[in-house]
Amino acid sequence: MLVKEVMRCQIIQLPTTAYLSKGINHLIKHKINALLVTDEVRNPVGVVSKTDLVGAFYGGLSIDSVLGDIMYGPPLTCYPDDELETSLDVMRTHGVHQLYVRGADPSSLDGMLSYTDVVVFLHRYCRSCPKSTSRKRGPSDLQEEGQHFTVKEVMTASVVSYREEDPLVEVIDGLMDHHVGAILIRDSQGLARGVISKTDLVAAYHHGMSLNVEARSIMNAPVISCDQRALLDEAIRLMLLKDVHRVFANSGDPSQITGVLSLSDAARIRSGSCRACVSSRIIPKG
Amino acid sequence: MFARDIMDTRFHTVRPTHTIAEAVRAFETATIEERKRVYGLMVTDEQDRLVGMLSMYDILLFIQPKQVHLWDEMEDFEPGSLFDELLDRVKAIQVCDIMTTEVVTIKPDTHVIVIADLMIKRHIRRLPVVDGKDVVGIVYISGLFNHLMRKFL
Repeated sequence: MLVKEVMRCQIIQLPTTAYLSKGINHLIKHKINALLVTDEVRNPVGVVSKTDLVGAFYGGLSIDSVLGDIMYGPPLTCYPDDELETSLDVMRTHGVHQLYVRGADPSSLDGMLSYTDVVVFLHRYCRSCPKSTSRKRGPSDLQEEGQHFTVKEVMTASVVSYREEDPLVEVIDGLMDHHVGAILIRDSQGLARGVISKTDLVAAYHHGMSLNVEARSIMNAPVISCDQRALLDEAIRLMLLKDVHRVFANSGDPSQITGVLSLSDAARIRSGSCRACVSSRIIPKG
Repeated sequence: MFARDIMDTRFHTVRPTHTIAEAVRAFETATIEERKRVYGLMVTDEQDRLVGMLSMYDILLFIQPKQVHLWDEMEDFEPGSLFDELLDRVKAIQVCDIMTTEVVTIKPDTHVIVIADLMIKRHIRRLPVVDGKDVVGIVYISGLFNHLMRKFL
């Protein structure tokens, strides 16, 4: 499988001189994780991700700073004819959620590859398969067959959580320390009440909020979760249709969270949502 | 004939810090007061300087799931309740998060031919008229069209 079969051509880019506020506007408006940053002659020179913006919020950087102040560069790239497996390894090794795709012109970029693109591709592949869950009678029959992955098999079992009254600065500490994209927020009884993602923190930065406000003031509620026994295919569909990058797993009671499944987790298993493809793999080793 | 001759000097604005619910109410108010459907509003700061434009398209784009093309492929999927949840997420954002910041403006002395050219080539339906730092009016494509056709007919 090659990058060109999965990549998309649209790249959102801004110059190094654009204000952070404008960058945040573009990230939220276009629902993307990172911006390509270009120089005065529109050559790509760096990337600003939501993580960088959360870092700027944490560090007290003015929202009137420019993207060039916080970007990292040069952008990590791949080629359309690269094996998808190799590119996914590069993403994992460098801890990034996207690679930019180089074209024939060495100074320009023709597209990008993200975990979302990979998961969408796998999801479509699985749905068109004769073994697809959508062609079966019901989930229980499928689980009996043991053919299809469940959320529990793929999810990350440790969940980072904070309390509703904890300040945002502590929530950001948790995000940074554990290298996660979102934090679960619990009430005083330990029940899951909401989620704070990097997008929520970036929006809080944009809205001029203090790092000392309580987590409950910006958390998203209720928590989007599914039963950990649910099929992976169903959880992926939930994430794609709800436009979220992760879904929490519960033990059957939505207030009892047992793990988290992210789009990057789903992309990393690479064999789609059932064991039928494990031996051959949809995305074979390069 | 210039922008100043065809612009509407009574216009409606929203603030960058307004919620989307407040912006939607502003669309409704503007539509009632102008007696015509208003699809886009100017966004101005505390000094009444233009900082962006917010259109119904911007709001719809935000509500729309990014992977909406998958919905068509799912005959076993009922989108009703899911769409309600997607609508709910606008509560967390403000006008500044989704407004269009690259705003094309014209001056009071911009000629109508230039205005028509801008609107056609850049697919713009409304152009703020700015004099120095002050917003002094707005030219709608309907206003321009009616003005030109009146002469023609």
